[in-house]
Amino acid sequence: MRWRNTVFVCLSLALTPAPAASEQAGVSVRDAWIREAPPGMSMMAGYMELRNNTSRPQVLVAARSSGFESVTTHRTIVKDGIARMVHAPQIELAANAGLIFAPGSYHLMLMNPKRTLRAGDAVVVDLEFRGGLVLPVSFEVRK
Amino acid sequence: MPLKFSVMITSVALAAILAGVWLADVSREHDSRAVLLPDQVITLFPDPKPLTAFTLTDHKNRVFDLASLKGKWSFLFFGFTHCPDVCPTTLAVLARAREDIAKNALGAKDIQFVFVSVDPNRDTAGVLRQYVEYFDASFLGVTGDNAQIANLAGQLGAAYQVAITPGVENYPVYHTAGVFLVDPQARYHAVFTPPHDAEAISKRFKVVRELEAGNAA
Repeated sequence: MRWRNTVFVCLSLALTPAPAASEQAGVSVRDAWIREAPPGMSMMAGYMELRNNTSRPQVLVAARSSGFESVTTHRTIVKDGIARMVHAPQIELAANAGLIFAPGSYHLMLMNPKRTLRAGDAVVVDLEFRGGLVLPVSFEVRK
Repeated sequence: MPLKFSVMITSVALAAILAGVWLADVSREHDSRAVLLPDQVITLFPDPKPLTAFTLTDHKNRVFDLASLKGKWSFLFFGFTHCPDVCPTTLAVLARAREDIAKNALGAKDIQFVFVSVDPNRDTAGVLRQYVEYFDASFLGVTGDNAQIANLAGQLGAAYQVAITPGVENYPVYHTAGVFLVDPQARYHAVFTPPHDAEAISKRFKVVRELEAGNAA
């Protein structure tokens, strides 16, 4: 009886869907979302909270998604009141530290979605780190 | 007894006058502080600058000019529709600020929100219409030729740069991230500085509108 319960618990754990946060090899992502685009617009921005749980820096070197024609990492910089977007090809996460992709700061620039994305939809973006680690992250489309 | 009574009345009257003077002082000090000290959200100008003639066209192909600014408080934001981060973020914040403002006693009848596109090459009236109405049905989207845009932008000190590159579809546009507040007399009254927050904007605007109503009375 006892071992049966144990097997049942193990099976349940194995079958439980992965938690909303993506986590692999010490890098975790929370609150990943993409702003819904106004009609006719083909450029979207994605935001998330990245956390490096390891004791050495991790470098985000690429982002890819089959849901978009292209995905690039950018940063909005406001200098002297002027906003400009700069391409940030490599983004370093310091050891044991977090980095927030947020409106007006770091963001994923997602171009030409393959289908119209509306609030509530989800789309997976693969984040690639130096060393070959690829972290698939599910982004929720929000208005 | 009558003497004592009149002394008492006089004292009460005196106290009331003193309290009145003190309250007026506090209120004046509060007003001048609000007017003179910029905070992180808004910079109010002590002498609002009257704007001069300009002509743009809105998202329904109607003329938008100096007369369109009169009789209303206008929130103006300069940007472009091919802007994935700052513009939609700001317009979403402004839509929420408008909701907040509409809820308070003075309402939102005498306010308008104007998105000025500095990228007329891509932002036609049709594109602007879909874009601004997505955020709020009352929002206006206006643009014009380069000289027309430069006229209004220059008067507000709104800097921008359109880096059109031949053959490049997604050329970058740099633009000021501030939101400009023009008063019902078409004067450049204040500027909201980024990062923008809906509640902060609606709260500051309430004070500005009350101050202005006090000045007019």
